[in-house]
Amino acid sequence: MGVTITPTMVGQVVISGLLAGALYSMVALGLALIYGVMRVINIAHGTLLMLGAYTTFWWFRLLGINPYLSLLVALPLMFFVGMLLQRTLVARVVDAPELSSLLLTFGISIALVNVAQLTFTSDVRSVEFLTGAFLVGPFALSKSRLVAFAVAVAITAIAFWFLQKTKLGKAIRATSQSSEVAMVCGINVHRIHLYAFGIASALASAGGSLVAVMVAIQPEMGQVYTFKSFLVIVLGGAGNYPGALLGGMLLGLVEQLASLFLTTQLSEAVAYVLLVLVLLLRPTGLLGGRAT
Amino acid sequence: MRWAVLAALAIGLLLLALYPLVATGYGIRFMLQLFMWVALAQSWNLISGLTGYVSFGHVAFFGTGAYAGAILVTTHGWHWGPASLAGGVAAVILALIIGYPCLRLKGPYFAIAMLGLNEVMRVLVSYFEGLTGGGSGLSLPTLHASGQIYYAMGAAALAVTGAAHLLITSRVGLRFMTIREDEIAAEAMGINTERYKLYAFLLSAFVPGVVGGFFARDQGYIEPISVFPLLTTITMIVMVLFGGKGTIWGPVLGAVTLFVFQELVWARFLYLHQIFFGAIIVFVVLLMPRGILGVLQERYRLPRTI
Repeated sequence: MGVTITPTMVGQVVISGLLAGALYSMVALGLALIYGVMRVINIAHGTLLMLGAYTTFWWFRLLGINPYLSLLVALPLMFFVGMLLQRTLVARVVDAPELSSLLLTFGISIALVNVAQLTFTSDVRSVEFLTGAFLVGPFALSKSRLVAFAVAVAITAIAFWFLQKTKLGKAIRATSQSSEVAMVCGINVHRIHLYAFGIASALASAGGSLVAVMVAIQPEMGQVYTFKSFLVIVLGGAGNYPGALLGGMLLGLVEQLASLFLTTQLSEAVAYVLLVLVLLLRPTGLLGGRAT
Repeated sequence: MRWAVLAALAIGLLLLALYPLVATGYGIRFMLQLFMWVALAQSWNLISGLTGYVSFGHVAFFGTGAYAGAILVTTHGWHWGPASLAGGVAAVILALIIGYPCLRLKGPYFAIAMLGLNEVMRVLVSYFEGLTGGGSGLSLPTLHASGQIYYAMGAAALAVTGAAHLLITSRVGLRFMTIREDEIAAEAMGINTERYKLYAFLLSAFVPGVVGGFFARDQGYIEPISVFPLLTTITMIVMVLFGGKGTIWGPVLGAVTLFVFQELVWARFLYLHQIFFGAIIVFVVLLMPRGILGVLQERYRLPRTI
Protein backbone atom coordinates (compact mmCIF):
# COMPACT_ATOMS: atom_id res chain seq x y z
CA MET A 1 0.00 0.00 0.00
CA GLY A 2 2.98 2.24 0.62
CA VAL A 3 1.26 4.25 3.35
CA THR A 4 3.47 5.10 6.29
CA ILE A 5 1.65 4.85 9.55
CA THR A 6 2.56 7.40 12.16
CA PRO A 7 1.87 7.18 15.92
CA THR A 8 -0.58 10.09 15.50
CA MET A 9 -2.59 8.09 13.01
CA VAL A 10 -2.72 5.13 15.36
CA GLY A 11 -3.81 7.41 18.19
CA GLN A 12 -6.52 8.89 16.03
CA VAL A 13 -7.70 5.41 15.09
CA VAL A 14 -7.86 4.30 18.71
CA ILE A 15 -9.85 7.39 19.68
CA SER A 16 -12.28 7.07 16.76
CA GLY A 17 -12.59 3.35 17.42
CA LEU A 18 -13.52 3.84 21.06
CA LEU A 19 -15.98 6.61 20.18
CA ALA A 20 -17.74 4.36 17.65
CA GLY A 21 -17.42 1.32 19.91
CA ALA A 22 -19.40 2.81 22.80
CA LEU A 23 -22.37 3.23 20.49
CA TYR A 24 -22.08 -0.35 19.22
CA SER A 25 -21.90 -1.58 22.82
CA MET A 26 -25.09 0.22 23.79
CA VAL A 27 -27.09 -0.99 20.79
CA ALA A 28 -25.77 -4.54 21.09
CA LEU A 29 -26.62 -4.65 24.80
CA GLY A 30 -30.27 -4.47 23.72
CA LEU A 31 -29.90 -7.45 21.40
CA ALA A 32 -27.98 -9.35 24.09
CA LEU A 33 -30.74 -8.66 26.61
CA ILE A 34 -33.45 -10.16 24.39
CA TYR A 35 -31.27 -13.12 23.52
CA GLY A 36 -30.35 -13.57 27.17
CA VAL A 37 -33.86 -13.75 28.58
CA MET A 38 -35.72 -15.36 25.67
CA ARG A 39 -33.13 -17.05 23.42
CA VAL A 40 -34.57 -15.00 20.57
CA ILE A 41 -32.41 -13.12 18.07
CA ASN A 42 -34.38 -10.06 17.12
CA ILE A 43 -33.78 -9.48 13.39
CA ALA A 44 -35.84 -6.28 13.73
CA HIS A 45 -33.35 -4.73 16.19
CA GLY A 46 -31.77 -2.50 13.55
CA THR A 47 -35.24 -1.60 12.29
CA LEU A 48 -36.07 -0.23 15.74
CA LEU A 49 -32.84 1.75 15.55
CA MET A 50 -34.02 3.17 12.21
CA LEU A 51 -37.32 4.23 13.81
CA GLY A 52 -35.36 6.01 16.55
CA ALA A 53 -33.32 7.84 13.91
CA TYR A 54 -36.49 9.01 12.14
CA THR A 55 -38.01 10.15 15.43
CA THR A 56 -34.98 12.39 15.91
CA PHE A 57 -35.07 13.57 12.31
CA TRP A 58 -38.74 14.60 12.45
CA TRP A 59 -38.31 16.17 15.89
CA PHE A 60 -35.50 18.31 14.52
CA ARG A 61 -37.23 19.06 11.19
CA LEU A 62 -40.63 19.95 12.62
CA LEU A 63 -39.75 21.51 15.96
CA GLY A 64 -36.24 22.76 15.25
CA ILE A 65 -35.16 21.96 18.81
CA ASN A 66 -31.84 20.37 19.78
CA PRO A 67 -31.96 16.83 18.30
CA TYR A 68 -30.44 15.27 21.42
CA LEU A 69 -33.52 16.31 23.39
CA SER A 70 -35.54 13.98 21.16
CA LEU A 71 -34.07 11.14 23.25
CA LEU A 72 -36.52 12.15 25.97
CA VAL A 73 -39.38 11.33 23.60
CA ALA A 74 -37.87 8.53 21.51
CA LEU A 75 -36.76 6.37 24.43
CA PRO A 76 -40.10 6.06 26.23
CA LEU A 77 -41.94 5.85 22.91
CA MET A 78 -39.82 2.97 21.62
CA PHE A 79 -39.93 1.31 25.04
CA PHE A 80 -43.70 1.02 24.57
CA VAL A 81 -43.44 0.05 20.91
CA GLY A 82 -41.09 -2.74 21.99
CA MET A 83 -43.43 -3.94 24.71
CA LEU A 84 -46.29 -3.88 22.22
CA LEU A 85 -44.34 -6.01 19.72
CA GLN A 86 -43.44 -8.46 22.44
CA ARG A 87 -46.97 -8.62 23.81
CA THR A 88 -48.75 -9.08 20.49
CA LEU A 89 -46.29 -11.08 18.39
CA VAL A 90 -42.94 -12.20 19.78
CA ALA A 91 -44.37 -13.71 23.00
CA ARG A 92 -46.08 -16.35 20.89
CA VAL A 93 -42.83 -17.81 19.57
CA VAL A 94 -40.57 -17.59 22.63
CA ASP A 95 -40.83 -21.31 23.31
CA ALA A 96 -41.09 -22.34 19.65
CA PRO A 97 -38.09 -23.58 17.62
CA GLU A 98 -35.57 -20.92 16.68
CA LEU A 99 -36.74 -20.90 13.07
CA SER A 100 -40.05 -19.36 14.15
CA SER A 101 -38.62 -16.42 16.06
CA LEU A 102 -36.01 -15.68 13.39
CA LEU A 103 -38.63 -15.68 10.65
CA LEU A 104 -41.17 -13.77 12.72
CA THR A 105 -38.81 -10.94 13.58
CA PHE A 106 -37.59 -10.93 9.97
CA GLY A 107 -41.20 -10.49 8.83
CA ILE A 108 -41.75 -7.70 11.34
CA SER A 109 -38.59 -6.01 10.10
CA ILE A 110 -39.64 -6.16 6.42
CA ALA A 111 -43.08 -4.79 7.22
CA LEU A 112 -41.72 -1.91 9.33
CA VAL A 113 -38.99 -0.96 6.84
CA ASN A 114 -41.54 -0.72 4.06
CA VAL A 115 -44.05 1.18 6.15
CA ALA A 116 -41.18 3.63 6.65
CA GLN A 117 -40.52 3.64 2.89
CA LEU A 118 -44.16 4.50 2.26
CA THR A 119 -44.59 7.16 4.92
CA PHE A 120 -41.14 8.76 5.05
CA THR A 121 -40.18 7.95 1.39
CA SER A 122 -36.80 6.48 0.53
CA ASP A 123 -35.17 9.95 0.36
CA VAL A 124 -31.90 10.08 2.25
CA ARG A 125 -32.31 12.46 5.20
CA SER A 126 -29.81 14.05 7.52
CA VAL A 127 -29.81 16.15 10.64
CA GLU A 128 -27.52 19.15 10.19
CA PHE A 129 -26.43 19.78 13.74
CA LEU A 130 -23.17 19.98 15.63
CA THR A 131 -20.87 19.59 12.63
CA GLY A 132 -17.14 20.11 12.88
CA ALA A 133 -14.55 18.82 15.30
CA PHE A 134 -12.54 19.80 18.35
CA LEU A 135 -8.81 19.84 17.81
CA VAL A 136 -6.99 18.37 20.81
CA GLY A 137 -3.25 18.35 20.18
CA PRO A 138 -2.74 16.42 16.95
CA PHE A 139 -6.14 14.70 17.17
CA ALA A 140 -9.45 15.72 15.65
CA LEU A 141 -12.51 14.79 17.69
CA SER A 142 -15.75 15.05 15.79
CA LYS A 143 -18.25 16.93 17.97
CA SER A 144 -21.26 14.77 17.12
CA ARG A 145 -19.28 11.59 17.74
CA LEU A 146 -18.01 12.90 21.05
CA VAL A 147 -21.54 13.70 22.22
CA ALA A 148 -22.77 10.31 20.94
CA PHE A 149 -19.98 8.66 22.93
CA ALA A 150 -20.83 10.52 26.12
CA VAL A 151 -24.55 9.84 25.84
CA ALA A 152 -24.00 6.17 24.94
CA VAL A 153 -21.66 5.69 27.91
CA ALA A 154 -24.17 7.35 30.23
CA ILE A 155 -27.11 5.27 28.98
CA THR A 156 -25.07 2.05 29.11
CA ALA A 157 -23.96 2.90 32.66
CA ILE A 158 -27.58 3.47 33.71
CA ALA A 159 -28.59 0.18 32.08
CA PHE A 160 -25.87 -1.69 33.98
CA TRP A 161 -26.72 0.01 37.25
CA PHE A 162 -30.31 -1.03 36.64
CA LEU A 163 -29.33 -4.65 35.89
CA GLN A 164 -27.00 -4.88 38.90
CA LYS A 165 -28.82 -2.97 41.61
CA THR A 166 -32.56 -2.87 41.10
CA LYS A 167 -34.92 -5.71 41.91
CA LEU A 168 -36.27 -5.79 38.36
CA GLY A 169 -32.74 -5.81 36.96
CA LYS A 170 -31.85 -8.76 39.16
CA ALA A 171 -34.99 -10.54 38.00
CA ILE A 172 -33.91 -10.00 34.38
CA ARG A 173 -30.48 -11.44 35.08
CA ALA A 174 -32.00 -14.35 36.95
CA THR A 175 -34.29 -15.08 34.01
CA SER A 176 -31.41 -15.04 31.59
CA GLN A 177 -29.47 -17.46 33.81
CA SER A 178 -32.32 -19.91 33.95
CA SER A 179 -35.89 -19.24 32.99
CA GLU A 180 -37.23 -22.24 34.91
CA VAL A 181 -35.45 -21.51 38.16
CA ALA A 182 -36.49 -17.85 37.93
CA MET A 183 -40.08 -18.98 37.54
CA VAL A 184 -39.78 -21.26 40.56
CA CYS A 185 -38.47 -18.30 42.56
CA GLY A 186 -41.69 -16.45 41.84
CA ILE A 187 -40.50 -14.22 39.04
CA ASN A 188 -43.17 -13.51 36.44
CA VAL A 189 -41.09 -14.50 33.44
CA HIS A 190 -43.56 -13.19 30.87
CA ARG A 191 -43.39 -9.77 32.47
CA ILE A 192 -39.61 -9.91 32.40
CA HIS A 193 -39.73 -10.71 28.67
CA LEU A 194 -41.95 -7.68 28.17
CA TYR A 195 -39.61 -5.33 30.04
CA ALA A 196 -36.52 -6.79 28.38
CA PHE A 197 -37.97 -6.21 24.92
CA GLY A 198 -39.00 -2.68 25.89
CA ILE A 199 -35.55 -1.82 27.26
CA ALA A 200 -33.86 -3.39 24.24
CA SER A 201 -36.00 -1.32 21.86
CA ALA A 202 -35.21 1.83 23.82
CA LEU A 203 -31.47 1.06 23.61
CA ALA A 204 -31.73 0.48 19.84
CA SER A 205 -33.69 3.68 19.39
CA ALA A 206 -31.16 5.63 21.47
CA GLY A 207 -28.54 4.38 19.04
CA GLY A 208 -30.72 5.60 16.19
CA SER A 209 -31.13 9.05 17.70
CA LEU A 210 -27.37 9.38 18.16
CA VAL A 211 -26.38 8.17 14.68
CA ALA A 212 -29.07 10.39 13.15
CA VAL A 213 -26.78 13.35 13.74
CA MET A 214 -23.78 11.58 12.19
CA VAL A 215 -24.89 9.50 9.22
CA ALA A 216 -27.49 9.46 6.44
CA ILE A 217 -30.96 8.38 7.50
CA GLN A 218 -33.02 6.11 5.27
CA PRO A 219 -35.45 3.24 5.87
CA GLU A 220 -32.96 0.47 5.10
CA MET A 221 -30.21 1.80 7.38
CA GLY A 222 -31.03 -0.64 10.17
CA GLN A 223 -29.98 -3.98 8.78
CA VAL A 224 -26.27 -3.34 9.11
CA TYR A 225 -26.78 -2.53 12.81
CA THR A 226 -28.63 -5.81 13.38
CA PHE A 227 -25.65 -7.57 11.88
CA LYS A 228 -23.03 -5.59 13.80
CA SER A 229 -24.91 -5.93 17.09
CA PHE A 230 -24.96 -9.66 16.61
CA LEU A 231 -21.25 -9.65 15.85
CA VAL A 232 -20.68 -7.70 19.08
CA ILE A 233 -22.50 -10.28 21.18
CA VAL A 234 -20.65 -13.10 19.42
CA LEU A 235 -17.35 -11.34 20.20
CA GLY A 236 -18.31 -10.90 23.84
CA GLY A 237 -19.94 -14.30 24.23
CA ALA A 238 -23.68 -14.76 23.73
CA GLY A 239 -25.68 -14.10 26.89
CA ASN A 240 -22.76 -12.35 28.55
CA TYR A 241 -23.76 -8.71 29.20
CA PRO A 242 -20.35 -7.22 30.12
CA GLY A 243 -19.05 -9.12 27.09
CA ALA A 244 -21.24 -6.94 24.90
CA LEU A 245 -19.37 -3.85 26.13
CA LEU A 246 -16.00 -5.33 25.32
CA GLY A 247 -17.27 -6.63 21.98
CA GLY A 248 -18.56 -3.21 20.96
CA MET A 249 -15.26 -1.48 21.73
CA LEU A 250 -13.37 -4.19 19.89
CA LEU A 251 -15.56 -3.89 16.80
CA GLY A 252 -15.12 -0.10 16.79
CA LEU A 253 -11.34 -0.45 17.03
CA VAL A 254 -11.04 -3.15 14.38
CA GLU A 255 -13.20 -1.21 11.93
CA GLN A 256 -11.18 1.96 12.37
CA LEU A 257 -7.92 0.09 12.19
CA ALA A 258 -9.02 -1.57 8.97
CA SER A 259 -9.84 1.82 7.49
CA LEU A 260 -6.13 2.69 7.82
CA PHE A 261 -5.15 -0.10 5.46
CA LEU A 262 -8.18 -0.59 3.26
CA THR A 263 -10.39 1.62 1.15
CA THR A 264 -13.65 2.65 2.83
CA GLN A 265 -15.53 0.33 0.47
CA LEU A 266 -13.65 -2.76 1.61
CA SER A 267 -13.61 -1.82 5.28
CA GLU A 268 -17.38 -2.39 5.25
CA ALA A 269 -16.62 -6.06 4.76
CA VAL A 270 -14.25 -6.20 7.73
CA ALA A 271 -17.00 -6.82 10.28
CA TYR A 272 -18.07 -9.81 8.23
CA VAL A 273 -14.62 -11.34 8.01
CA LEU A 274 -14.31 -10.81 11.76
CA LEU A 275 -17.55 -12.72 12.39
CA VAL A 276 -16.47 -15.69 10.29
CA LEU A 277 -13.04 -15.75 11.98
CA VAL A 278 -14.50 -15.66 15.49
CA LEU A 279 -16.98 -18.43 14.67
CA LEU A 280 -14.11 -20.47 13.26
CA LEU A 281 -11.60 -19.92 16.05
CA ARG A 282 -13.44 -19.04 19.24
CA PRO A 283 -17.18 -19.61 18.89
CA THR A 284 -17.89 -19.09 22.59
CA GLY A 285 -16.74 -15.48 22.42
CA LEU A 286 -13.72 -13.82 23.91
CA LEU A 287 -15.05 -13.74 27.47
CA GLY A 288 -16.77 -17.10 27.13
CA GLY A 289 -20.51 -17.34 26.93
CA ARG A 290 -23.01 -20.09 26.60
CA ALA A 291 -22.81 -20.78 22.91
CA THR A 292 -23.16 -24.45 22.12
CA MET B 1 -54.15 -43.09 -7.83
CA ARG B 2 -50.41 -43.10 -8.09
CA TRP B 3 -50.59 -43.69 -11.84
CA ALA B 4 -53.14 -40.94 -12.26
CA VAL B 5 -50.83 -38.48 -10.52
CA LEU B 6 -47.86 -39.56 -12.62
CA ALA B 7 -49.90 -39.32 -15.81
CA ALA B 8 -51.10 -35.85 -14.89
CA LEU B 9 -47.51 -34.79 -14.19
CA ALA B 10 -46.33 -36.21 -17.52
CA ILE B 11 -49.08 -34.42 -19.42
CA GLY B 12 -48.34 -31.18 -17.58
CA LEU B 13 -44.64 -31.42 -18.43
CA LEU B 14 -45.43 -32.23 -22.07
CA LEU B 15 -47.69 -29.19 -22.32
CA LEU B 16 -45.00 -26.98 -20.78
CA ALA B 17 -42.45 -28.43 -23.20
CA LEU B 18 -44.69 -27.64 -26.19
CA TYR B 19 -45.75 -24.24 -24.88
CA PRO B 20 -43.01 -22.20 -26.66
CA LEU B 21 -44.43 -23.36 -30.05
CA VAL B 22 -47.60 -21.35 -29.49
CA ALA B 23 -46.51 -18.73 -26.97
CA THR B 24 -45.92 -15.03 -27.45
CA GLY B 25 -42.62 -13.47 -26.40
CA TYR B 26 -44.28 -12.18 -23.23
CA GLY B 27 -45.68 -15.62 -22.44
CA ILE B 28 -42.28 -17.24 -22.69
CA ARG B 29 -40.66 -14.61 -20.49
CA PHE B 30 -43.45 -14.93 -17.93
CA MET B 31 -43.05 -18.71 -17.70
CA LEU B 32 -39.27 -18.45 -17.68
CA GLN B 33 -39.41 -16.20 -14.62
CA LEU B 34 -41.95 -18.47 -13.00
CA PHE B 35 -39.55 -21.41 -13.44
CA MET B 36 -36.78 -19.30 -11.96
CA TRP B 37 -38.84 -18.61 -8.84
CA VAL B 38 -39.80 -22.26 -8.48
CA ALA B 39 -36.11 -23.21 -8.68
CA LEU B 40 -35.08 -20.52 -6.17
CA ALA B 41 -37.87 -21.23 -3.69
CA GLN B 42 -37.27 -24.95 -3.89
CA SER B 43 -33.54 -24.42 -3.24
CA TRP B 44 -34.22 -22.34 -0.14
CA ASN B 45 -36.52 -25.11 1.00
CA LEU B 46 -33.65 -27.64 0.88
CA ILE B 47 -31.68 -25.89 3.62
CA SER B 48 -34.28 -23.97 5.60
CA GLY B 49 -37.38 -26.11 5.08
CA LEU B 50 -35.62 -29.43 5.66
CA THR B 51 -32.94 -28.72 8.29
CA GLY B 52 -34.61 -25.67 9.89
CA TYR B 53 -31.51 -23.47 9.48
CA VAL B 54 -32.79 -20.15 8.12
CA SER B 55 -30.84 -18.61 5.28
CA PHE B 56 -31.45 -14.86 5.11
CA GLY B 57 -29.04 -14.34 2.24
CA HIS B 58 -29.70 -16.95 -0.39
CA VAL B 59 -29.66 -14.32 -3.12
CA ALA B 60 -25.88 -14.16 -2.58
CA PHE B 61 -25.60 -17.50 -4.42
CA PHE B 62 -27.83 -16.27 -7.21
CA GLY B 63 -25.69 -13.16 -7.63
CA THR B 64 -22.42 -15.09 -7.42
CA GLY B 65 -23.64 -17.47 -10.12
CA ALA B 66 -24.81 -14.56 -12.26
CA TYR B 67 -21.41 -12.85 -12.06
CA ALA B 68 -19.38 -16.03 -12.52
CA GLY B 69 -21.50 -16.99 -15.54
CA ALA B 70 -21.43 -13.52 -17.06
CA ILE B 71 -17.67 -13.18 -16.64
CA LEU B 72 -17.05 -16.53 -18.32
CA VAL B 73 -19.33 -15.56 -21.19
CA THR B 74 -17.91 -12.09 -21.78
CA THR B 75 -14.19 -12.46 -21.13
CA HIS B 76 -13.61 -16.13 -21.87
CA GLY B 77 -16.16 -16.63 -24.64
CA TRP B 78 -17.90 -19.58 -23.00
CA HIS B 79 -21.32 -20.76 -24.08
CA TRP B 80 -23.90 -19.66 -21.49
CA GLY B 81 -24.86 -23.25 -20.62
CA PRO B 82 -21.53 -24.46 -19.21
CA ALA B 83 -20.86 -20.94 -17.91
CA SER B 84 -24.02 -21.14 -15.81
CA LEU B 85 -23.06 -24.56 -14.47
CA ALA B 86 -19.71 -23.04 -13.50
CA GLY B 87 -21.74 -20.31 -11.78
CA GLY B 88 -23.41 -23.05 -9.74
CA VAL B 89 -20.00 -24.42 -8.78
CA ALA B 90 -18.87 -20.93 -7.73
CA ALA B 91 -21.95 -20.64 -5.53
CA VAL B 92 -21.20 -24.01 -3.91
CA ILE B 93 -17.63 -22.90 -3.17
CA LEU B 94 -18.95 -19.73 -1.52
CA ALA B 95 -21.41 -21.84 0.47
CA LEU B 96 -18.57 -24.04 1.66
CA ILE B 97 -16.54 -21.05 2.87
CA ILE B 98 -19.49 -19.65 4.84
CA GLY B 99 -21.15 -22.91 5.82
CA TYR B 100 -18.12 -24.62 7.30
CA PRO B 101 -17.56 -22.17 10.18
CA CYS B 102 -21.21 -21.22 10.72
CA LEU B 103 -22.90 -24.60 10.55
CA ARG B 104 -20.57 -26.21 13.08
CA LEU B 105 -22.54 -24.32 15.69
CA LYS B 106 -26.13 -24.65 16.72
CA GLY B 107 -28.36 -21.66 17.03
CA PRO B 108 -28.75 -18.43 15.11
CA TYR B 109 -25.13 -17.97 13.96
CA PHE B 110 -25.82 -19.28 10.50
CA ALA B 111 -28.90 -17.09 10.04
CA ILE B 112 -27.01 -13.91 10.92
CA ALA B 113 -23.96 -14.83 8.89
CA MET B 114 -26.26 -15.20 5.90
CA LEU B 115 -27.92 -11.87 6.71
CA GLY B 116 -24.58 -10.11 6.18
CA LEU B 117 -23.31 -12.20 3.25
CA ASN B 118 -25.34 -10.49 0.57
CA GLU B 119 -24.05 -7.07 1.57
CA VAL B 120 -20.46 -8.29 1.55
CA MET B 121 -20.80 -9.87 -1.88
CA ARG B 122 -22.23 -6.63 -3.24
CA VAL B 123 -19.29 -4.69 -1.78
CA LEU B 124 -16.75 -7.15 -3.19
CA VAL B 125 -18.32 -7.20 -6.63
CA SER B 126 -18.35 -3.40 -6.72
CA TYR B 127 -14.75 -3.25 -5.54
CA PHE B 128 -13.11 -5.63 -8.03
CA GLU B 129 -13.95 -3.43 -10.99
CA GLY B 130 -11.41 -4.98 -13.34
CA LEU B 131 -13.22 -8.29 -13.23
CA THR B 132 -16.82 -7.29 -12.71
CA GLY B 133 -17.19 -3.81 -14.17
CA GLY B 134 -17.89 -2.50 -10.67
CA GLY B 135 -20.93 -0.31 -10.19
CA SER B 136 -21.34 0.28 -13.92
CA GLY B 137 -22.16 -3.38 -14.46
CA LEU B 138 -21.38 -6.01 -17.03
CA SER B 139 -22.95 -6.29 -20.51
CA LEU B 140 -23.17 -9.64 -22.24
CA PRO B 141 -22.98 -9.93 -26.02
CA THR B 142 -26.42 -9.74 -27.65
CA LEU B 143 -28.07 -13.10 -28.13
CA HIS B 144 -31.72 -14.01 -28.58
CA ALA B 145 -32.03 -17.20 -26.62
CA SER B 146 -35.26 -16.80 -24.66
CA GLY B 147 -36.54 -20.11 -26.04
CA GLN B 148 -33.45 -22.02 -24.91
CA ILE B 149 -33.37 -20.25 -21.56
CA TYR B 150 -37.02 -21.21 -21.09
CA TYR B 151 -36.04 -24.89 -21.27
CA ALA B 152 -32.92 -24.35 -19.17
CA MET B 153 -34.89 -22.63 -16.37
CA GLY B 154 -37.59 -25.29 -16.62
CA ALA B 155 -34.96 -28.03 -16.33
CA ALA B 156 -33.48 -26.30 -13.25
CA ALA B 157 -36.91 -26.06 -11.59
CA LEU B 158 -37.64 -29.69 -12.45
CA ALA B 159 -34.23 -30.88 -11.25
CA VAL B 160 -34.42 -29.20 -7.86
CA THR B 161 -38.03 -30.33 -7.36
CA GLY B 162 -36.92 -33.86 -8.26
CA ALA B 163 -34.04 -33.53 -5.79
CA ALA B 164 -36.50 -32.40 -3.11
CA HIS B 165 -38.63 -35.47 -3.86
CA LEU B 166 -35.66 -37.82 -3.67
CA LEU B 167 -34.46 -36.24 -0.44
CA ILE B 168 -37.78 -36.09 1.37
CA THR B 169 -38.48 -39.74 0.60
CA SER B 170 -34.99 -40.98 1.48
CA ARG B 171 -32.86 -41.63 4.55
CA VAL B 172 -30.69 -38.59 3.88
CA GLY B 173 -33.78 -36.38 3.89
CA LEU B 174 -34.93 -37.99 7.12
CA ARG B 175 -31.58 -37.08 8.66
CA PHE B 176 -32.04 -33.46 7.53
CA MET B 177 -35.52 -33.37 9.02
CA THR B 178 -34.37 -34.99 12.25
CA ILE B 179 -31.88 -32.14 12.63
CA ARG B 180 -34.77 -29.71 12.20
CA GLU B 181 -36.95 -31.43 14.78
CA ASP B 182 -34.32 -31.99 17.44
CA GLU B 183 -30.66 -31.57 16.73
CA ILE B 184 -29.46 -33.08 19.99
CA ALA B 185 -31.61 -36.16 19.49
CA ALA B 186 -30.27 -36.38 15.93
CA GLU B 187 -26.73 -36.43 17.29
CA ALA B 188 -27.66 -39.00 19.87
CA MET B 189 -28.93 -41.23 17.06
CA GLY B 190 -25.52 -41.07 15.47
CA ILE B 191 -26.21 -38.53 12.72
CA ASN B 192 -23.17 -36.40 11.99
CA THR B 193 -25.19 -33.17 12.14
CA GLU B 194 -22.34 -30.88 11.11
CA ARG B 195 -21.79 -32.83 7.96
CA TYR B 196 -25.46 -33.21 7.01
CA LYS B 197 -26.21 -29.53 7.59
CA LEU B 198 -23.32 -28.70 5.29
CA TYR B 199 -24.58 -31.16 2.63
CA ALA B 200 -28.02 -29.59 2.70
CA PHE B 201 -26.51 -26.13 2.43
CA LEU B 202 -24.21 -26.98 -0.49
CA LEU B 203 -27.12 -28.61 -2.32
CA SER B 204 -29.27 -25.54 -1.74
CA ALA B 205 -26.59 -23.21 -3.12
CA PHE B 206 -25.94 -24.97 -6.43
CA VAL B 207 -29.17 -24.33 -8.33
CA PRO B 208 -29.45 -20.63 -7.37
CA GLY B 209 -25.94 -20.22 -8.81
CA VAL B 210 -26.90 -21.95 -12.06
CA VAL B 211 -30.16 -20.03 -12.31
CA GLY B 212 -28.21 -16.81 -11.68
CA GLY B 213 -26.11 -17.64 -14.76
CA PHE B 214 -29.27 -18.17 -16.84
CA PHE B 215 -30.71 -14.93 -15.50
CA ALA B 216 -27.58 -12.98 -16.46
CA ARG B 217 -27.74 -14.43 -19.98
CA ASP B 218 -31.44 -13.67 -20.25
CA GLN B 219 -31.11 -10.08 -19.05
CA GLY B 220 -27.99 -9.37 -21.08
CA TYR B 221 -26.82 -6.86 -18.47
CA ILE B 222 -26.13 -7.23 -14.76
CA GLU B 223 -25.01 -4.85 -12.04
CA PRO B 224 -24.53 -5.33 -8.28
CA ILE B 225 -27.98 -4.07 -7.32
CA SER B 226 -29.77 -6.13 -9.97
CA VAL B 227 -28.42 -9.53 -8.89
CA PHE B 228 -28.01 -9.01 -5.12
CA PRO B 229 -31.36 -7.52 -4.07
CA LEU B 230 -32.60 -8.37 -0.58
CA LEU B 231 -36.08 -8.59 -2.09
CA THR B 232 -35.14 -11.79 -3.93
CA THR B 233 -34.29 -13.53 -0.67
CA ILE B 234 -37.50 -12.22 0.90
CA THR B 235 -39.53 -13.50 -2.04
CA MET B 236 -37.97 -16.98 -1.85
CA ILE B 237 -38.73 -17.17 1.86
CA VAL B 238 -42.32 -15.96 1.48
CA MET B 239 -43.01 -18.40 -1.37
CA VAL B 240 -41.81 -21.38 0.65
CA LEU B 241 -43.51 -20.39 3.89
CA PHE B 242 -46.77 -19.64 2.08
CA GLY B 243 -46.80 -22.91 0.15
CA GLY B 244 -45.54 -25.08 2.99
CA LYS B 245 -41.92 -25.44 4.12
CA GLY B 246 -40.29 -28.83 4.18
CA THR B 247 -42.65 -30.27 1.56
CA ILE B 248 -42.04 -31.21 -2.09
CA TRP B 249 -44.90 -29.28 -3.69
CA GLY B 250 -45.29 -26.43 -1.20
CA PRO B 251 -42.54 -24.28 -2.73
CA VAL B 252 -43.98 -24.89 -6.22
CA LEU B 253 -47.45 -23.94 -5.05
CA GLY B 254 -46.15 -20.85 -3.22
CA ALA B 255 -44.00 -19.74 -6.16
CA VAL B 256 -46.79 -20.10 -8.71
CA THR B 257 -49.45 -18.39 -6.57
CA LEU B 258 -47.31 -15.48 -5.43
CA PHE B 259 -45.58 -14.92 -8.75
CA VAL B 260 -48.86 -14.73 -10.65
CA PHE B 261 -50.26 -12.45 -7.98
CA GLN B 262 -47.15 -10.29 -8.07
CA GLU B 263 -47.27 -9.90 -11.84
CA LEU B 264 -50.97 -9.11 -11.98
CA VAL B 265 -51.45 -6.95 -8.91
CA TRP B 266 -48.38 -5.88 -7.06
CA ALA B 267 -45.86 -4.82 -9.67
CA ARG B 268 -47.11 -1.24 -9.38
CA PHE B 269 -47.08 -1.02 -5.57
CA LEU B 270 -43.56 -2.00 -4.53
CA TYR B 271 -43.63 -0.95 -0.88
CA LEU B 272 -47.18 -2.13 -0.22
CA HIS B 273 -46.19 -5.40 -1.83
CA GLN B 274 -43.28 -5.79 0.59
CA ILE B 275 -45.43 -4.85 3.60
CA PHE B 276 -47.76 -7.60 2.42
CA PHE B 277 -44.81 -10.02 2.26
CA GLY B 278 -43.79 -9.11 5.80
CA ALA B 279 -47.36 -9.65 6.94
CA ILE B 280 -47.53 -13.06 5.22
CA ILE B 281 -44.38 -14.16 7.04
CA VAL B 282 -45.77 -13.06 10.41
CA PHE B 283 -49.16 -14.61 9.68
CA VAL B 284 -47.77 -17.94 8.48
CA VAL B 285 -45.31 -18.28 11.37
CA LEU B 286 -47.99 -17.56 13.98
CA LEU B 287 -51.10 -19.16 12.54
CA MET B 288 -50.29 -21.48 9.65
CA PRO B 289 -46.80 -22.89 10.28
CA ARG B 290 -47.13 -25.61 7.65
CA GLY B 291 -48.40 -23.29 4.94
CA ILE B 292 -51.24 -23.82 2.48
CA LEU B 293 -50.19 -27.40 1.81
CA GLY B 294 -50.27 -28.17 5.53
CA VAL B 295 -53.83 -26.90 5.73
CA LEU B 296 -54.82 -28.98 2.69
CA GLN B 297 -53.09 -32.03 4.15
CA GLU B 298 -55.13 -31.79 7.31
CA ARG B 299 -58.39 -31.19 5.50
CA TYR B 300 -58.14 -33.73 2.69
CA ARG B 301 -55.90 -36.43 4.14
CA LEU B 302 -53.19 -36.06 1.55
CA PRO B 303 -50.09 -38.25 1.82
CA ARG B 304 -47.43 -37.21 4.34
CA THR B 305 -44.70 -36.77 1.75
CA ILE B 306 -46.13 -34.41 -0.79
